[in-house]
Amino acid sequence: MIATSVSHYPKVGNGPGRQRLRQAIAQLDKGAIDRAALDRVADEVTAEAIQEQERAGLDLVTDGQIRWQDPVTYIAGKLDGFELHGLLRWFETNTYYRQPVAKGPITWKEPILVRDFLFAREHASSPVKAVLTGPYTIGTLSETRHHQSRRDFVLELAGALNQELKALADEGPAWIQVDEPAIARNPSVRYPRDFELFGEAMHRLTQGVNQQSRLSLYVYHGDVADYPQVAELPFALIGLDLVQGAANWDLVGGWPDSKAIGLGAVDARNVRLEDPEEVAQRIAGVTAREIHLSPSCGLEFLPRETAFQKLELVARAAHGVEART
Amino acid sequence: MNEATEGLRTTSVGSLPKPDYLLHARAQRARNEISQEELDELSRRATQEWIRFQEEIGVDIVVDGEMYRGDMVAYFAENLEGMGISGLVRSYGNRYYKKPIANGDIRRPGPITVDWWRFAQSLTDKPVKGMLTGPYTIADWSFDDHYGSRRDLVMALAEVVRQEAQDLEQAGAQYLQIDEPAVSTRLDELDLVIESMAVVTSGLRAHTITHMCYGRFEEVYPRLLDIPVDQIDLEMANSGLELLEKFSAHPFTKAIGFGVVDVHTHKIESVDEVKKNIRRALEYLRPEQVFIDPDCGLKTRTVDEAKAKLRTIQQARDEVRSELVRA
Repeated sequence: MIATSVSHYPKVGNGPGRQRLRQAIAQLDKGAIDRAALDRVADEVTAEAIQEQERAGLDLVTDGQIRWQDPVTYIAGKLDGFELHGLLRWFETNTYYRQPVAKGPITWKEPILVRDFLFAREHASSPVKAVLTGPYTIGTLSETRHHQSRRDFVLELAGALNQELKALADEGPAWIQVDEPAIARNPSVRYPRDFELFGEAMHRLTQGVNQQSRLSLYVYHGDVADYPQVAELPFALIGLDLVQGAANWDLVGGWPDSKAIGLGAVDARNVRLEDPEEVAQRIAGVTAREIHLSPSCGLEFLPRETAFQKLELVARAAHGVEART
Repeated sequence: MNEATEGLRTTSVGSLPKPDYLLHARAQRARNEISQEELDELSRRATQEWIRFQEEIGVDIVVDGEMYRGDMVAYFAENLEGMGISGLVRSYGNRYYKKPIANGDIRRPGPITVDWWRFAQSLTDKPVKGMLTGPYTIADWSFDDHYGSRRDLVMALAEVVRQEAQDLEQAGAQYLQIDEPAVSTRLDELDLVIESMAVVTSGLRAHTITHMCYGRFEEVYPRLLDIPVDQIDLEMANSGLELLEKFSAHPFTKAIGFGVVDVHTHKIESVDEVKKNIRRALEYLRPEQVFIDPDCGLKTRTVDEAKAKLRTIQQARDEVRSELVRA
């Protein structure tokens, strides 16, 4: 069993030196330092986030998305055709994202995450996964003033991000992960969930991507129990939120043997620390051939110190199960 | 009551911007450079300035502006037993806050806002609204390291908010607002909001209000009216049209706080724009049912912007009122 994180990791912590990035951004805003100086701090903090994940005992890490302001604009802001507008709430959380508005056709112009991935790989001793937010979620959380329909918009986004996936795959990461929280059942999502469009977008997104990297799909902030076809999508692994989307346990029971599964079984939204023994017991019955254990979603909803403890817990539960089997 | 002249009362949602000297003093207090007494003195001065301003422009139901509060949830968490403050969590960009955490049985050691309310009321003959954060919002915006179920945490908080509401009423508050901005993104939990609000407002004689930020309330209308308060306060300046249209089929049976200016923009609306929003309310609602206010708390605006927006509301209200009298 592989212990892994989902996406982001807290950028600041309590204690000396742990708020460097926050201070550097404030200094940049005041004109006291330049962009290059901020980038150096972001790099240092990224390296720390990677080291912390490894120290917690993870087998597969992310770069912590330390440079990301939010899960939408880091990607959308680097595609052609978007403008960034006002702040909106990220699902039903207490965090926000800047809403992209499409003013023209959406096109991919240059690699968005390749440099970040290479930096992370250089600073990690364990395998690194590249993580990007998917076209369905970006499409659902954005607005378009250009496309004829939501379908056109999402599929065009899928085509643009297909090029990003190809650029990433050329660097050969162990895993490339696509995050699509907007397809999960969540009380805040404005649109009806469109499984047909989602399936089509996922096919377009992954078409012709170099198979040396394995592709995974993570859905969180809710369940997809009413969408068992998620297991048939063209990904090697599907990651499910088993805390906020507890109804996903129904899917886990009938999971096809051929497909790896990601179990988001540790609550990434609350500080209460689960008993690793209990977590291990809960997942012990899962028969899928390949399992990734993780928190239920990214960890920026928690203070950094608690985020680290959650990852330790994930690693202990994953490796404890392994030791028994 | 003469509907044309007595209706359309004006008020504020709650928070108002803190003047620079107070922001500065709060930062000093955080670094322990000044005493709590020194800070309180400046909070009182700012409260007095805001009350005087609201009286001057003719606001009907005034607020203290929450000069002594920081975050609307953390303020209560800091004053309750069984709640603490966790480490830093990011909300957006470079903004971080210390998220409250329930870490034991929640109790209210004593009144929290009552002395501040008494002070504000002593400065004016206009009614001062008592302002509380609702149990659902305190729970939703906090971590839970103790109760283990959302319902148990919300209901424990409902009990302490009820105690505070009763103390405010006893002190003389005629208007009590219990804010529940967290509801708007979790309409699937409306039942829990109704259940917990029933605990808070049961037995109160004061006019009770709840404020909620923008959400797809048309989807839960008319169930929305089951929240046991006398008045629901909603953002209506830039939205709410779909909800308003529902009022034709199912009349809005409570009083409504009708937000008529956007609190998220620096731009000051024109009197005509605001009049248009008020007239929109009157297509569906009776004047005495309608309380006119900004969409939300004004604390993120500058003092000058907030004053300009409140003046605009007042002028628009006065003009619509005299048009009603003439009609």
